[in-house]
Amino acid sequence: MALLPRNLSFSRQILPIIAVVGVIMAAWFIIGKLPNRDTVEPAEQPPKAVGALANAPRVAGAGIVEPASEVIDIGSALSGLVTDVRVKPGDRVAQGEVLFTVDARAARASLTQAAAAISEARAAISEAMAAERTARQQLDLYRSLTDPAAVSRAEVIRAEGEEAAATSRLGLARARLAATQAAAAAARTEIERLTVRAPIAGEILAVNIRPGEFVATQGGGNTQPFIQMGDTDPLHVRIDIDENEAARVKLGAPAVVSPRGAAELHVNAAFVRAEPQVVPKRSLTNSAAERVDVRVVQLIYALPESDDFRVGQQVDAFIPAKDAPADTEG
Amino acid sequence: MLTGDAQKFYGLLFGIAFSTLLITQQMTIFVNLVQRGASGVYNAPEAEVWVMDPVSRTTDVSYAMPPTALDKVRSVKGVEWAVPHLRAQATVRTREGDLEGVAVIGVDDATLIGLPERMAKGDKSVLFAPDAVAVDDTGALNFFPSEIDPVGERLELNDQRAVIRGVADAIPSFTSTVVLYTRYSNALNFVPGTRNRLSFVLVGVSEGQTPSDVAARIERETGLKARTRDEFAQAGVNFIIENTGIPTNFGITVFLGFVVGVAIVGLTFSLFIRDNIKQFGALKAIGVTNGKIITMVGAQAGLVGLIGYALGVIGTVLFISAFSSNPFFKGFYIPWQIPLISFVAVVIILAITGLIAIRSVLKTEPASVFR
Repeated sequence: MALLPRNLSFSRQILPIIAVVGVIMAAWFIIGKLPNRDTVEPAEQPPKAVGALANAPRVAGAGIVEPASEVIDIGSALSGLVTDVRVKPGDRVAQGEVLFTVDARAARASLTQAAAAISEARAAISEAMAAERTARQQLDLYRSLTDPAAVSRAEVIRAEGEEAAATSRLGLARARLAATQAAAAAARTEIERLTVRAPIAGEILAVNIRPGEFVATQGGGNTQPFIQMGDTDPLHVRIDIDENEAARVKLGAPAVVSPRGAAELHVNAAFVRAEPQVVPKRSLTNSAAERVDVRVVQLIYALPESDDFRVGQQVDAFIPAKDAPADTEG
Repeated sequence: MLTGDAQKFYGLLFGIAFSTLLITQQMTIFVNLVQRGASGVYNAPEAEVWVMDPVSRTTDVSYAMPPTALDKVRSVKGVEWAVPHLRAQATVRTREGDLEGVAVIGVDDATLIGLPERMAKGDKSVLFAPDAVAVDDTGALNFFPSEIDPVGERLELNDQRAVIRGVADAIPSFTSTVVLYTRYSNALNFVPGTRNRLSFVLVGVSEGQTPSDVAARIERETGLKARTRDEFAQAGVNFIIENTGIPTNFGITVFLGFVVGVAIVGLTFSLFIRDNIKQFGALKAIGVTNGKIITMVGAQAGLVGLIGYALGVIGTVLFISAFSSNPFFKGFYIPWQIPLISFVAVVIILAITGLIAIRSVLKTEPASVFR
């Protein structure tokens, strides 16, 4: 007890000490509980302009990856049942390679029919030739007789008529052969038309038909294309630039492109062309049902060889802008 | 001495402690309440600049922009990155069929910039799941009784299915509306369609640039309105102050605290001085100057003031920490300026009352001892 002064007073000594300790603790609590209002760095990197573009005038746009040939929706010349699909998505095909075939039984039947008609016509020709030969020999025989009384004048006229008839029958038979040959050729074309081939060399992007399905020639509407293909070497990217910004774009300069969700990738894409037409902005910023009154200029850039891009993927792009003399500051 | 009379001493202590408590606590609640107006800004901790339509005022009072605004902002020099941010009102149908108004916040698809810094339940990456939403923690309590785990609950938003996959640790909004965080592309489906949907563009500033410079440049080059994080938070606070009666209410309470302090302390002080007027006279008689007497009284008043102030501040701290688990008080803190303000208030109370009380002593003649 010697530590404590004898006349210890609650109100004079203890209370002030409690007060000081309390204030210190309260201050500690208050300072410790102050909220952190600092900004934080994003956990994942958003798309951003890098390198020389970071501090240079630039124009940003969203784009979509497409084949250099654009996407070709393969159609069918004739409608019918699909009998065979020879390709699958991802296949590389050469120009003229068969993609799928449509049921050709009817066409083949008419080809057989035409072949039969050809043989028939050929037989008719030989028959007509034989008849002509006989008629001509008969006529020659009559004409070689020197004695005019040996055969009557009427007999000669008949022989002459028979020879002329046989000649024209031969001509008819030849014409019929040509007709049947034409019919056979038509049937062969028909069969050929029922085989759908690749119009260009490229990659198969989508196959939406299976053997047994019916393909109709009346496409359009919201029917899916049967097969989609395109020349994916190189891939192009179609970048939409707001028409208000379009004047600032330095046409011909390479663009820096990042795929959505992988903004740390920065790919230099070479300028290909600018579309001559300004079009209403299509759904590029996420929503399929996007309705906008904004018009955009579409710029086409070629992507270098890379596994990071796929057809239809959305990308963010930064394109160098012309130096704006008005904005010299900063 | 002042402590000699326990009744008056504790009376003074109570008066000061009470007015400190009232002033500190009410101002704390006021500041925190109006700061709820800025919660939307603080809940998106990555954004250094907010870009919006020129008519937009706060995070909740905004007018949507066409989607190419994002690209326009990205084209501006000094903008390191820019992401879309959608804030809209929607009605939601719960599994029980109840209808509830919610705020839908669409954050950037790829980076999830715009989400609160922490998640209370689940990970941020749950939002990558289809139809996934994250609900804010206070909103979850409005929606579901506390014994039900909101994660996995299904909601219906604009005829679309939404599944709660996580709970965000967010600062509640002023109106305590339920907030659903989802990805921008999902949000477009959840919110009934209007032509333009993009409410804000959140911007990060390149190194070596200040947010205010970049905001000014964005305004000049795009014609949109750009505000730094602090400016926009302040705009949210100002909106609450201008459009509600809260400042008046709390102002009256703080003023009452001050008046009560003056009344109690003044009365007790005057009584104390009057009771001891003879002693003061005696002091004067033995040659103590008025200055010495003022110092004496001032020292005692200072002691009382310090103890009373300490008790008041401790009371406020205890109050705030006791209620910190209550969703209404979530995120409440005591700004360091407020204890200083109440300290100044205590000093003013003591100065006013002390001066009024001591006037009689100064006028007292030493002879009064003998009367």
